[in-house]
Amino acid sequence: MSKQTGKLKIKPKKLFGAALTYLIILAVCFIFLFPILWLVLASFSKTGSIYSFKGFFPTAYSFDSFVKLFTDTEMYNYPRWFGNTLFISLMSSLIGTALTILTAYCMSRFRFKSRKAMMKTTLVLGMFPSFMTMTAVYILMTQFNLINQQWGLIMIYSAGAPMGYLTQKGFFDTISVSIDEAARIDGASNFKIFVKITLPLAAPMIVYTLLSSFVWPWSDFILPKLLLKNKDLYTVAVGLMSLDNTEFSRFAAGSVFIAIPIIVFYFALSKFLINGLSAGAVKQ
Amino acid sequence: MENSTYNGITNKIRAFFAAKAKAVKNFFATLPQRIKNKFAGAKEILTQGNGKVSASMCIMGLGQLLYRQWGKGITYLLAQIAFLAYFIMKGAGDFIGFFTLGVKQGNAWYGIEGDNSVIMLLMGILSIIAIIFYVVIYISNIRDAYRIQCAADTLKQPVSFKKELSSLLDKNFHKTALALPIVGVCVFSILPIIFMILIAFTNYGGTVVPPALVDWVGFENFAKILTLGQFAPTFFKIFGWNILWAILSTFINYFAGLGLALLLNRKCVKGKTFWRLFPILAYAVPGFITLIAFKFMFSYGGPINQMITSAGGTAIGFLDIDAKWTARLIGLMVNAWLNIPSGMLLATGILSNVNTDLYEAARVDGASAWKQFVKITLPYVLFATMPVLISQFIANFNNFGIFYFLRGGLYMDGYFLASDTDLLINWLYNMSIDNNYYSIGAAISIIIFIVTSIISLAVYVMSPSYKQEETYQ
Repeated sequence: MSKQTGKLKIKPKKLFGAALTYLIILAVCFIFLFPILWLVLASFSKTGSIYSFKGFFPTAYSFDSFVKLFTDTEMYNYPRWFGNTLFISLMSSLIGTALTILTAYCMSRFRFKSRKAMMKTTLVLGMFPSFMTMTAVYILMTQFNLINQQWGLIMIYSAGAPMGYLTQKGFFDTISVSIDEAARIDGASNFKIFVKITLPLAAPMIVYTLLSSFVWPWSDFILPKLLLKNKDLYTVAVGLMSLDNTEFSRFAAGSVFIAIPIIVFYFALSKFLINGLSAGAVKQ
Repeated sequence: MENSTYNGITNKIRAFFAAKAKAVKNFFATLPQRIKNKFAGAKEILTQGNGKVSASMCIMGLGQLLYRQWGKGITYLLAQIAFLAYFIMKGAGDFIGFFTLGVKQGNAWYGIEGDNSVIMLLMGILSIIAIIFYVVIYISNIRDAYRIQCAADTLKQPVSFKKELSSLLDKNFHKTALALPIVGVCVFSILPIIFMILIAFTNYGGTVVPPALVDWVGFENFAKILTLGQFAPTFFKIFGWNILWAILSTFINYFAGLGLALLLNRKCVKGKTFWRLFPILAYAVPGFITLIAFKFMFSYGGPINQMITSAGGTAIGFLDIDAKWTARLIGLMVNAWLNIPSGMLLATGILSNVNTDLYEAARVDGASAWKQFVKITLPYVLFATMPVLISQFIANFNNFGIFYFLRGGLYMDGYFLASDTDLLINWLYNMSIDNNYYSIGAAISIIIFIVTSIISLAVYVMSPSYKQEETYQ
């Protein structure tokens, strides 16, 4: 008897708990969605200026901002910025991935004398955000004549990539060593094992590395701002930062356009992402 | 309530820290012995090495040639000649230039081409690197000669040059593969750091830029930052706010992310993947876009102020020069918006690994949901994410973007080239990039680095992911 009344009592309480949970979730999702929705709608505004909006949203909609973005290039050459960003990101991604995969493979498969010291060093260097040395980078780049050079940026990005080798190393750690050993008994050298066995097995990891090292230059603003002073060399980030305050719709349209590839990438790889994020954490 | 189930975890953590303390103690206890072992090898070569090894000590490669190891001998000999040529023609001058930083003041008016101190500093660093490189090769040359001697004494065929070269694709493949990444990291990460550290001890910057001569000034820049009227008040004000900011933002982001993950993990929530898309969407938008958008949102013409004015109020300068705490609060909120999603993803990943038996046992014992959270979930998540938490703290400590975009380039009374929301990293940018105070900026970098690296290295070495990595292979 008492048991039954207990059950009856819990039910409304549980219902209330569930309702509250959903309420909070809805609020949180709204908070995350709203600024993005605001930007997307603003990019379709007809007038372009933020002052003509009523509250958060434009009063009339059209594709004008997008058309203007790609045709009205005298002041703000968005297609040019876009091409620059694409070139820098692609190159950095290709070179950076090659270096990262090599580093991760060596750190995972070889036991050499300075290995632990190198791992500690990369960790400390990694704690040194790249822009903390920006004074020095700036001066060095001036001396090497790499200011206003896209290759200067590409070199910095790709040389910095191997420092984030931990995720890839974790992946190589999970590939069983016994395959390597079998190949070694058959007389394969380590180089051959790397090219013929490890690389094909690591294909998904290589794709992940390519994409994630593409994203960094694609959305970075500090280094391009520091090193690219010439308007024709601007990346999208620097270009959008240079926009006038009245050009809100142009900014919104330009942002939507550059954010889409990254959003697609994140959704496609959200599973990888969770693993990558927890790579630094302790597994139980 | 029965406590023994939960004590397991706290005991584990206690044991973990005890083990770390022991490991650190052990490290220092065995240090003298390990140094002794290092020198034992050198002593052996010095006492046991024959005349041919000594020949290699005088001229690199000579011993190898005497043993008829032509390939190796000639390579070492060429290295010796190349280094000597470099050192006599250029290296020695560069090395001295490193200490003087130039003695001849240039003057364009009289057509005198003076010394460029910055180039001299750079070339000086390169000459020191060349010397270190030479010493490493020199030692490997002696070791190699001794190894040949040992092989010859036991009538074994010494390893040929060709074989050693081909081992670079097999046994020593890591040396080949790591060469390029290491050079890249050295040039683009380590060289700037060395350069920056050295600049912090010069008077480079302000009016002292080439063609004026730069000089070494020792710790003067640090003394200026910590004591001088111009810099010190700004430094301490910014440092205090920087610490407060790092703690608050890390705390908010971490626990909000954990809370969100727990909320979405509840049994009554249907369509978890769908709800998770919203934070991921926010996470995926590049940071600079979000930051510029938020700046628009809080600007005078922005939607919030429009709503206020249309409701009959007066526009509020959220990010104005006198908006100290409003601006700081907006900074914290915007940073939370940007970073809670990644915290949520991380916590979701960690929570999927929690041992569910513990909850079952706790439920049987009648523990409340809150008690389960405090006694099981929280210790476990904290334990597992400690390294990540630390790196988040450091990332927040050096969070350049937030206030650069929200209130960049604002200089205030009472602050030297900074505003009351600026963090040390923003101050550093204002000083060195916008106003040419290179040496002071470099000194600030070093202070930030010391504070952050001590925290991170200590925690990393103590964490099991470093110590017990072999167990997961």
